[in-house]
Amino acid sequence: MMADSIVPVKEIEEKAEKMDTDKMWVIMGPQHPFSHGLWTLKVKLDGEIVTDAEPIVGYLHRGWEKETENRTYPKIIPMADRLCYAASMTYTHLYCMTVEKALGIDIPEKAKYIRIVADEVCRINSHLMWLAAVGTDLGNLTVFLWCMREREFFLDLNVKLCGARMTTNYPRIGGVRNDTTELFDRDILRTVERFEKALWDIIYLIDDSSIFVSRMKGISYITREQAANIGLTGPAMRGCGVDFDLRRDDPYDNYDKIDFEVPVLQEGDSYARYMIRVEELFQSCEIIKQAVGKIKALGKNAPYRLKVPSRVPAGTAYAKLEDPRGESMMYLVSDGTDKPYRLKVRSPIFVNVSSAKLQSVGVRIADVPAVLAQIDMCLGETDR
Amino acid sequence: MDESKLKYLNKYTKIEGGKQAKPYVTKNLAKSLWIVKPNWTVFKLFCKTVARKPVTVLYPYEKEWIPENYRGRPGLRFDRCVSCGMCVRMCPTSCIKLIEVPDDDGKPVMRPQVNVGRCAMCGYCAEYCPVDAMTVTPEYELAEYTRYDLLYGPRRLHYEGTTPGMEVKLEVTLPSDIESGNPERRRPLFEIDRPELTDSKCIGCKKCAKVCPVSAIEMVEKGVNDKGKPILRPKIDTSKCICCSNCVDDCPKSALAIKEVL
Repeated sequence: MMADSIVPVKEIEEKAEKMDTDKMWVIMGPQHPFSHGLWTLKVKLDGEIVTDAEPIVGYLHRGWEKETENRTYPKIIPMADRLCYAASMTYTHLYCMTVEKALGIDIPEKAKYIRIVADEVCRINSHLMWLAAVGTDLGNLTVFLWCMREREFFLDLNVKLCGARMTTNYPRIGGVRNDTTELFDRDILRTVERFEKALWDIIYLIDDSSIFVSRMKGISYITREQAANIGLTGPAMRGCGVDFDLRRDDPYDNYDKIDFEVPVLQEGDSYARYMIRVEELFQSCEIIKQAVGKIKALGKNAPYRLKVPSRVPAGTAYAKLEDPRGESMMYLVSDGTDKPYRLKVRSPIFVNVSSAKLQSVGVRIADVPAVLAQIDMCLGETDR
Repeated sequence: MDESKLKYLNKYTKIEGGKQAKPYVTKNLAKSLWIVKPNWTVFKLFCKTVARKPVTVLYPYEKEWIPENYRGRPGLRFDRCVSCGMCVRMCPTSCIKLIEVPDDDGKPVMRPQVNVGRCAMCGYCAEYCPVDAMTVTPEYELAEYTRYDLLYGPRRLHYEGTTPGMEVKLEVTLPSDIESGNPERRRPLFEIDRPELTDSKCIGCKKCAKVCPVSAIEMVEKGVNDKGKPILRPKIDTSKCICCSNCVDDCPKSALAIKEVL
């Protein structure tokens, strides 16, 4: 057997000019420092250049959608928290919004603004988590430590608001769990102001360091058309020049009454996607400041939670929301009982990760973690 | 688009009228002070930290301050509990079970037992408790050596520092209150929901009266049937009822149903 594979030296010399190295499939994951969570990326290598890639997800499938069919509507809220540990507030918000649509009720103004504040705190949490991950993927541990330090302040805000750090269980069908606690608005404004200054330090650490920029700039270009065809959403899409944000273009829960900018960059490389997320951190701070002002203006005694019927009328409802990572949607089919007949989740990363081939073809294998960090992987919601 | 609003991108690119006017710029890193500036940022932090007291605490001996509304393990106020089973019904991880324990006088009563190993600390048991017996405690050090130790019986669930303010009192606004121009009025979740009887379905089996934890249901004779036997019908005392829907669940003919007042 061995003898068959040995090629005479003479033949090699003849073919030397057009000789390719053997293509090799390298399997990265599910246990690999680059894969944040359990997923596999198969990459095909030509020497050191990636020529093909295939993401494999599904290691964390736990039947979330089927589980919900056995539970009454309020019991699904703590489950929705656990879809994604970094974006628990947005998923709970989305679920509540879907059921509210099915019920056909309009929640009080104050609840809408509190949800906006909670969502944006959650977005900052999620983006800081991502920035920390990018830091370690690119080989700078200081970024990780500083981001985690900043994130701690926002987790403390979650505790002040609802009593839990990450699995918050805060929005309810018909409003939110409790009113803002005493001195919450003072604390959140202080935290945000402090954070806006501290973020510049992290930015100096990254943008003025050649370690980072030379590994992000000019690699893994995605064009506008490619992004739209593959269904990219969120910051990754806006880094490719698609000017679309659900908060602005299809506003839900009073986002239309808040003045903020949607950052868009035309380049579409890895660095552009990084820049969009950093700018979104600043915009989230802006949204929080405005929304806290609106909560104050509504007064202390404004209603924040409506009583809702326990049975949802038969029919379907559909809601979508701008998650930190993209557009997440939920589709509810109700048969008139107090349990959903079917609840379908559209997770942004499940779609975004399908762009792994687009992003990684042509880059070197050492850059694959740096490029795919821009997806901001979270397996809890991808596999459900 | 107002340029000044994009705080970070404006430093690196030019955005005019919502459109990016030119490609983003990064500095020529070979010429710039690419090693000095990040190091300078770290050096600033170093100087600050040297001058400041340490922010870490010696954890098992000192503890961080946690806010009052912190959601740790559930707690129980033994005397208040009426064993209605609302917490069992609402628990999303089904970690609560009603078990029989002797009360202070030695009489056996049913009280909740929590498997803290499965508890998700969502606070639903405290939120839905109609008599504010279940509370949320700020206790978070729950590690044990065996799984059996994680079973918190009713007496162990009791939390020393449970003060009257610690129960999670979550109140809702009724849509009808807002319509009638009274939006500041708050009610407990099930304050005015009461079970209603469909008289034609009832067979007078007395099951509802047996399961009612607050004995709000009394069987009343309402005339005599064809065979000369008395017709029994439940009479619900709405002031006593706590809307735990035990009677609704146990009714064999689904004659009782909760009427939700919105």
